[in-house]
Amino acid sequence: MKPILLQGHERSITQIKYNREGDLLFTVAKDPIVNVWYSVNGERLGTYNGHTGAVWCVDCDWDSRHVLTGSADNSCRLFDCETGKQLALVNTNSAVRTCGFDFGGNIIMFSTDKQMGYQCFINFFDLRDPSQIEDNEPYMKIPCNDSKITSAVWGPLGECVIAGHENGELNQFSAKSGEIVGNIKEHHKQINDIQTSRDKTMFVTASKDNTAKLFDATSLEHLKTFRTERPVNSAALSPIYDHVILGGGQEAMDVTTTSTRIGKFEARFFHLVFEEEFGRVKGHFGPINSAEFHPDGKSYSSGGEDGYVRIHNFDPQYLEFEFEA
Amino acid sequence: MPTGDYDSKPSWADQVEEEGEDGESGSLPLLASTELPSSPGVDAPKLVLDENHKIVVDYKTDEDGKKYKIIRTFRVETRKASKSVARRKNWKKFGNSEFDQPGPNVATTTVSDDVLMTFISSKEDLNPQEDEDPMNKLKGQKIVSCRICKGDHWTTRCPYKDTLGPMQKELADQLGLTTGDKEKVPGGEPDAAQAAKSSTTGKYVPPSLRDGATRRGESMQPNRRADDNATIRVTNLSEDTRETDLQELFRPFGSISRIYLAKDKTTGQSKGFAFISFHRREDAARAIAGVSGFGYDHLILNVEWAKPSNN
Repeated sequence: MKPILLQGHERSITQIKYNREGDLLFTVAKDPIVNVWYSVNGERLGTYNGHTGAVWCVDCDWDSRHVLTGSADNSCRLFDCETGKQLALVNTNSAVRTCGFDFGGNIIMFSTDKQMGYQCFINFFDLRDPSQIEDNEPYMKIPCNDSKITSAVWGPLGECVIAGHENGELNQFSAKSGEIVGNIKEHHKQINDIQTSRDKTMFVTASKDNTAKLFDATSLEHLKTFRTERPVNSAALSPIYDHVILGGGQEAMDVTTTSTRIGKFEARFFHLVFEEEFGRVKGHFGPINSAEFHPDGKSYSSGGEDGYVRIHNFDPQYLEFEFEA
Repeated sequence: MPTGDYDSKPSWADQVEEEGEDGESGSLPLLASTELPSSPGVDAPKLVLDENHKIVVDYKTDEDGKKYKIIRTFRVETRKASKSVARRKNWKKFGNSEFDQPGPNVATTTVSDDVLMTFISSKEDLNPQEDEDPMNKLKGQKIVSCRICKGDHWTTRCPYKDTLGPMQKELADQLGLTTGDKEKVPGGEPDAAQAAKSSTTGKYVPPSLRDGATRRGESMQPNRRADDNATIRVTNLSEDTRETDLQELFRPFGSISRIYLAKDKTTGQSKGFAFISFHRREDAARAIAGVSGFGYDHLILNVEWAKPSNN
């Protein structure tokens, strides 16, 4: 396959995300630019300008009308997807680490860092009530005292938010009452990424403890473990096959102190059920920070510490590949 | 699809481009690009070969006055997409891309080299992980073993060097004097056998290191041991000493099985010491008593029991 290389960022990529149909690809990095691309040919549709710091997270709602971004400039912004106009700005006390639209696109969630003496909070805003944004008054604000949130997604049916913490804990926060409805600690280091399956019944976590784990989204039951020998930064579930893609690699700060063998930066494909690796794709020259399958399952994209985003269209070999257990 | 299929009029195309000198032509797949019906820059002759390909020939003159012929080969693809996707495809560019031409901008989008997915079977997969880090392998086993305390450090760095070292030397001396056999106490062998057994963890063990390997040479062992037992070391020999001289000197004490005279490789001269092996230990003992302190060739000979060799 010939990957399409997207060079829209000057710093390392922090997150990439497809919209629901997969025709648009949003990329954010540790620079203030938010890019959106046509995934089919890598053409840049535009940029959402306004942030003044590293952008940690991006999300797009169900019908691709709005784009939500959270940044280290202590703000969370809502953009119009088509024109790039900024629709709303929520100022926070510390950096916004994760953000997300609920299934209906009416409620937004974002979490802030424990930083500069401020606590880690998850904030919930209802976009149908403009006063909430104007007054910067979320309808719910959940403090997380023990360990800060490093990744979060909406759970099934928009009932809860599944959050991964710096200490490896997973919590389910109810979107209505704010209570912790589920808690599990299967990882012993920071959870870098959480991605749900297409039907949101399962989710996969990527952790710094060199593993990615599959959980049931409602019961938080631990189902599978995928082991590597490097920290995992991102993990994604294929919408059409029982495959998981793991992106990671040694941390940039360790590159000079460990064995010189290159090739730790491959995207690694595991079988979902057998937990065995069956394929690798090279290309990045830094750890992969974010990887996601196209919603049709026939291509995937990865963004790395090297600042590039690569769109890979799978070869027939992959699509015809049968795993032999 | 609930929205129904919609033929997105702007067709997707895989662009193939090659820049070359006049007359040269070729094709190189470049990018999927979008060609709007009103797409500009198609004033140049356009040639449609078939439904799937379109070749655009363009002429360009650079600052040196050189004329270039640019041939772009497009693969035209018509894809069916849902209404919403097709509508989004026609959105106007905005932000930093506001003034970009239709189709991908080479400043932000390029096609990188071909990469292949490497498929790995589970077995292949395990091995690379094991020998991933050569240092890990060495972690388990001792690279350095102290001769004094068998610790994981050089002998000279041994913390017991001053206490244990001399004691062991004395002990070894005593053992050497009484019998070389002490080294092989009855309990010694089962120990070794056990160690060998415990190391059979399914890994390949070369025949020379297997259980029976040490036993194979055993038949030879007693002889050598007997040799060691009845071997004396003669030192302070003169340089001119020959093996025949030694034979003459020691023959009277008993039958000699072997004479070894250390000689310089290049000059062939004696290095001043020799080993004499008798068939019987008593003969050797008498030889020590008889020759030690004996003046030979203006030097006083020193004769003592040979220490058992280490191997």
